[in-house]
Amino acid sequence: MLQSNVWKKALEGIVVCDFTWVGAGPITTNVLAQCGAEVIKIESRAKLDILRLGGPFKDGIAKGIERSGYFSNRNPNKKSIALNMSHPKSKEVVTRLIKKSDIIANNFRVGQMEKWGLGWEDVRKINPRIIYVTMSLQGTQGPHKSYMGFGVNLNALCGLTAQAAFKGQRPFGTGTNYTDHVMVPTHTVFAIMAALLHREKTGEGQLIAVSQLAASIAMKPMDVMTYAANNEILEPLGYSDPNAAPHGVYTTLGYRRWIAIAVFTEEEWQSLKRVMGNPEWAEDPKFSSFEARKENEDELNQRIEEWTRWQYAEALMEELIKAGVKAGVVNDARGAIEDRHLRERRFWVYLDHPEMGISLYNRAPILFSKTPLQMHTAAPLLGHHTKDVLTDFLGYSEDEVAKMTEEGVLT
Amino acid sequence: MEKENILDSLNDVRVIDFTGELGPYASRLYAGLGADVIHVEPITGDPLRNIGPFYKNKPGRERSLQFLYYNAGKRGIVLDLNKDRGREIFIRLCSNADILFESCIPGYLDSLGMSYEILSSHNPRLVQVSITPFGNFGPYTDYPGSDITCSALGGFLYLGGIDNEKPVRAPDNQSYRMAEAYAAVGGACALYFARKTGIGQHVDVSCIESVGMALENAAQYWDLEGKLRRGRGREAGAATVHPCKDGYVVIVAIMGKNKRMWDTFLEWMKKENVEEWEVFDDEKWIDPSYRITDEAYETFCRIFERYTMQHTKEYLYESGQASRVAISPVSNGKDLLENPQLKHLNYWQKLYHESLGAEILYPGPPYELSSLRWRLSKPAPTFGQHTEEILKELGYTNEEIDVMAKEEVIYVAE
Repeated sequence: MLQSNVWKKALEGIVVCDFTWVGAGPITTNVLAQCGAEVIKIESRAKLDILRLGGPFKDGIAKGIERSGYFSNRNPNKKSIALNMSHPKSKEVVTRLIKKSDIIANNFRVGQMEKWGLGWEDVRKINPRIIYVTMSLQGTQGPHKSYMGFGVNLNALCGLTAQAAFKGQRPFGTGTNYTDHVMVPTHTVFAIMAALLHREKTGEGQLIAVSQLAASIAMKPMDVMTYAANNEILEPLGYSDPNAAPHGVYTTLGYRRWIAIAVFTEEEWQSLKRVMGNPEWAEDPKFSSFEARKENEDELNQRIEEWTRWQYAEALMEELIKAGVKAGVVNDARGAIEDRHLRERRFWVYLDHPEMGISLYNRAPILFSKTPLQMHTAAPLLGHHTKDVLTDFLGYSEDEVAKMTEEGVLT
Repeated sequence: MEKENILDSLNDVRVIDFTGELGPYASRLYAGLGADVIHVEPITGDPLRNIGPFYKNKPGRERSLQFLYYNAGKRGIVLDLNKDRGREIFIRLCSNADILFESCIPGYLDSLGMSYEILSSHNPRLVQVSITPFGNFGPYTDYPGSDITCSALGGFLYLGGIDNEKPVRAPDNQSYRMAEAYAAVGGACALYFARKTGIGQHVDVSCIESVGMALENAAQYWDLEGKLRRGRGREAGAATVHPCKDGYVVIVAIMGKNKRMWDTFLEWMKKENVEEWEVFDDEKWIDPSYRITDEAYETFCRIFERYTMQHTKEYLYESGQASRVAISPVSNGKDLLENPQLKHLNYWQKLYHESLGAEILYPGPPYELSSLRWRLSKPAPTFGQHTEEILKELGYTNEEIDVMAKEEVIYVAE
């Protein structure tokens, strides 16, 4: 048994051979890296992780491949090695890395790894203890297995977008590639952890195949379950909630400033009325019960907004909270970054990047009391660690590295 | 997938789940891979039981579809923690467990004499994961929270709209789901550490931080460029939603300056003989600064929607994908149930519920593992269903159980 004073990372000693790129994959390995795993990101100038070209860019200057904040926030703590996978000699390097890895992950299109001779059957021969992770959009079998899609496609396909809509208007969704950010990475990390626990007992690795569609549906099951049970299509939500009234987003003073207020119980309604100064309209039978308020929700929301629109969101939030009413400022990114609660919890982390300077990251939302998450190094420059990893970790001599560089393997 | 040496990997893991509206999906993930998960309910019942949608729209303790989904595969015990013996049972449960998930108001368990310090003094390997709106410390710790207020404060809700529009919220309380998913991950990492070292720990997961994982690049837009972005959805053809004959479709015809993607889309338009398709045959569409203009958006909608309005979402999905265009239906529950891919994979699963005299349909496995079986296992516990069974495992005698039931320390189902 190891001593806690020498073992401070939850995933101490775990090595990840990381072929993932763009969305859900790098967020998955980001979480592993924060938990203490050594993540070695395999990249190539020949086939760039396209997020390196995605905004925002440091000072808005979209020059080169090292200024993207889209890329950086998903890749702190990782090491980057440049490896041209279409060069025949790359296979040797990857093989050495696989031998030393505990996890190998990719989110390429179905069949890409096999093309390189790095399918599950190939890799397990190299290292039977390895956990092999693939992340397909909709599974590796079936009529839609090769269908195209980004996060926004998956948002819509999995059912999330249809309800994220105002009634009678075209659906909007989350405004992001939401499924990539939490639904897919968390399921993937959980499966990896289960496989690691399994390996502790058996010594064996295994194949993990995540279907991004299936993982997403698992976190928003009610539309289909309700349809199957009650033959009913769930309505668009707007900002409402079937179990609360009032429940919504209300205009306050300032540019694009709103406050969210959620009233679930009669007690909360009474408190809200008190904070509003017990206006006469609130005593109308139209608003006297939950059912009545729900029935007259539009008018209710209008009335409340007449009251909120002359107030500052922050002060109003504090006043409502003090009275026991659930309320929250609708923060934009600046508001969230400057939020005193998130700051005190050190959710935001600044790391010094060679080209971007001191710039903003966030850690994963897990505070361990004994194995705190690590946020030590900014996102890597492409190939920044090629030489170190090849010599120190994979045992190549400096001459061999120089030769491979010359031959265009390490690019 | 070929299965080999199939095991319930987590069959030697015991999880105590003391959560309600917020929290239950975390331990559900463990149940899915074979762990013994015990859902602890207060004598007043898990509040989630009172929240719809309900089976056949009739409220009832065993009829909440949310309760049934989030607690499937678990066993259930009902305890009154306001009574000494109720607390004694809770401590004994935790003494024999690997992980405790709880979503109590911060300080509540401490006030009952069941702080992490006390629980871990009985079981040093115990991992306790707290899932709360704002976490166990910080200025908002004691604030009441709900899904929309956490989504709002964390910056996630703001992205669900464009320009000056108010934002819409995602369904199924996503801030809760995100926290639960991260709680499952945190619990598993801490469990791995505990198995290696014998040392348990406390893990603090909050909704407000979890939604911070879903800001995409919005925080970096502020930090690097001083810009406040909102949602995507009105840049012509780049993640836009369009009406069709029977609903809506979403399309990503281009990203950035990816001309190849646009050419693929153009080919499809040509093939479908879409009126005015030639308008799309212009370099200006490759430039995001053009696509973001009102003129571009309106032009795109005019031409594309004249076409989409003649077709169903299913047709557009199949036809566009056959041309390698990233178009998808905006699915509702019915579409999902009829989705041919999910049908082919036998994704949907059913469980017979004795308490309802009916089968309920559930989503299937989120992943496949070659040596570990995912299973839906058994229906969520009815109120007090396993109280007796679990207490016997803890060493209580029939007499003790009878007395405690009579004194309403516990509830035992008939």
